[in-house]
Amino acid sequence: MNQKKTIRAARRQIRMRKLRRFMRNRMAVAGVAVILVILLLCVLAPLLTPYDPIHMDMGSRNMPLSAVHPLGTDSMGRDLWSRMLYGGRISILIGVTGALGATVLGAVLGCGAGYLGGRAGAAIVYVSELFMAFPQYLLVMILVGVLGRSTANLLVIFTFTGWPHMMRVVRTNVLSLREEPYVESCRVNGIGSLSIMLHHILPNTMGPVIVNFTLKTAAYILQEASLSFLGMGVPDTVVTWGNILNAAKRLDIIQSMPVLWIAPGLAICLFVLSINFLGDGLRDVLDPTSV
Amino acid sequence: MIRYIIRRVLAMIPKLLLITMIVFAGLQLLPGDPIVRTFPPEQLAGLSEAQIEVLRDQAGLSDPLPLQYAKWIGRILQGDLGYSVISGSDISQMLATRLPYTMELAGWALVFSAVLGILFGFTAAVKQNSVADYTLTSLSVLGISVPEFFFGILFILLFSMTLGWLPTGGRTTAGESTDLWSRAKYLVMPVLCLSISFLATLTRYTRGCMLDVMNKDYIKTARSKGLGEGEVNLKHGLRNAMSPVLTWLIFQLPSLVCGVVVIETVFNYPAVGTMLLSAINSADMPTVMITTMMIAVVTLIASNLVDIVAAMMDPRIRLE
Repeated sequence: MNQKKTIRAARRQIRMRKLRRFMRNRMAVAGVAVILVILLLCVLAPLLTPYDPIHMDMGSRNMPLSAVHPLGTDSMGRDLWSRMLYGGRISILIGVTGALGATVLGAVLGCGAGYLGGRAGAAIVYVSELFMAFPQYLLVMILVGVLGRSTANLLVIFTFTGWPHMMRVVRTNVLSLREEPYVESCRVNGIGSLSIMLHHILPNTMGPVIVNFTLKTAAYILQEASLSFLGMGVPDTVVTWGNILNAAKRLDIIQSMPVLWIAPGLAICLFVLSINFLGDGLRDVLDPTSV
Repeated sequence: MIRYIIRRVLAMIPKLLLITMIVFAGLQLLPGDPIVRTFPPEQLAGLSEAQIEVLRDQAGLSDPLPLQYAKWIGRILQGDLGYSVISGSDISQMLATRLPYTMELAGWALVFSAVLGILFGFTAAVKQNSVADYTLTSLSVLGISVPEFFFGILFILLFSMTLGWLPTGGRTTAGESTDLWSRAKYLVMPVLCLSISFLATLTRYTRGCMLDVMNKDYIKTARSKGLGEGEVNLKHGLRNAMSPVLTWLIFQLPSLVCGVVVIETVFNYPAVGTMLLSAINSADMPTVMITTMMIAVVTLIASNLVDIVAAMMDPRIRLE
């Protein structure tokens, strides 16, 4: 009982030390703050704007910034501020969920490939190399072309095309951890493969997994934006930051109504920038060996 | 060295075969008559059922699948990639004109960002924790956080619409000569946009690798034997840091290709990316699949070439 208490206390101490180290990284802390503010704005969207993001009010088209429409309206009379808030919801959701899917799939396959080794492991590595020969973005575009444009399809496609990198990271880690004395002692004590994997190896590779998850989230938010910009992302009826940009890419709008593309562009940049700073901060704390 | 090259080339073949097999399988799953994408529409027009059957037999389209695959590969090796099912144009012809344009764009971006990225990364690492280091690292995080097309719009607005220095897009001016010099004004903005995120990641990565190397014992040895800082940094530091950087560059080639597709669209640059996008939009799946296959094949070959060059520079790689 006492031993358990000591272990718990030691763990808490390590966590606190990591937290303190993270808090020293000012950019990372600022990143977290910005992410929280943007998330809060998006979640509270119904309280912050009375407008429906897809309601077209033909009477008030191309309105400049004003008290009624904080960011003005677009060429179809839709309130930009409301579109930004509701668009952020979907953009962030797609980024986080897509990255989560790819990370989980990659981590599971990486554990399998690393710990089991043998033919199954080699096969997984070979498939990942094939995937990496195809530019991932092109693969996404083709799959969107085949499966059709929808939010669910995009999530499935992001999961299906994004795992190889994660798989490689986890596999390399597992390969080196497998030879550690503590894993060997588990094996000698008769603990099953699955249990060793779940309780002893996986927790020790979580650092790089979390770091890669944050960076993947940033990458997918960018990718959703550029897919939508090309008209290959989610359907036009779904409001995302990328789709707002897509609607504003005509040369005349670029010049006459700059706020229509600057606002979503800045939102994407700010959010992705914050995630990247957060990821860098986490990397320093959780995964100090990687470059 | 020659044995290493042979080994690399041999290792590439099964991958190429697998890629082509996957695309072949994908083509089989598509609806529609395969004869349409095998022969040009002019040749099929006005033919009777029986004549079409003769053509079908000629191309082996009713053979068992493995034989069909072999014949299809044979046609590809002879430069016959088939025909678009929408416009009926020759896919090899389209690629032959457009692929060099894309490679020109990607090539310049690669050279530009590789030179600057390694330089920036090196500088940041050598002057670690200085103002220059902080500036470069912060700028590089910014560079990877801004979507390429956003820079594209920004540049178009600034340099084309406001200042009027550069054309908003395209590749050549009608009636002007097409040498590199007169095309340069079309290349500046796309190459710049394409380079930014690549340059930023490369700076970060080079800095990391370089710092890693500079902590090694042999650097201390080099310093303690009295070598100058410049020599230690360049000969002992950078040269050893280059090997992981080069490997990383190879892995990033596909992502550069992805950037090309977006940037070509922003600047209306008539190359493979815009062709691919319009094929996807018109549901011309055979063209899409074959174009992607060719891009993957070119990327694979390019990455193997770089691998071989890396092995020439670093003898240890050959012996793995």
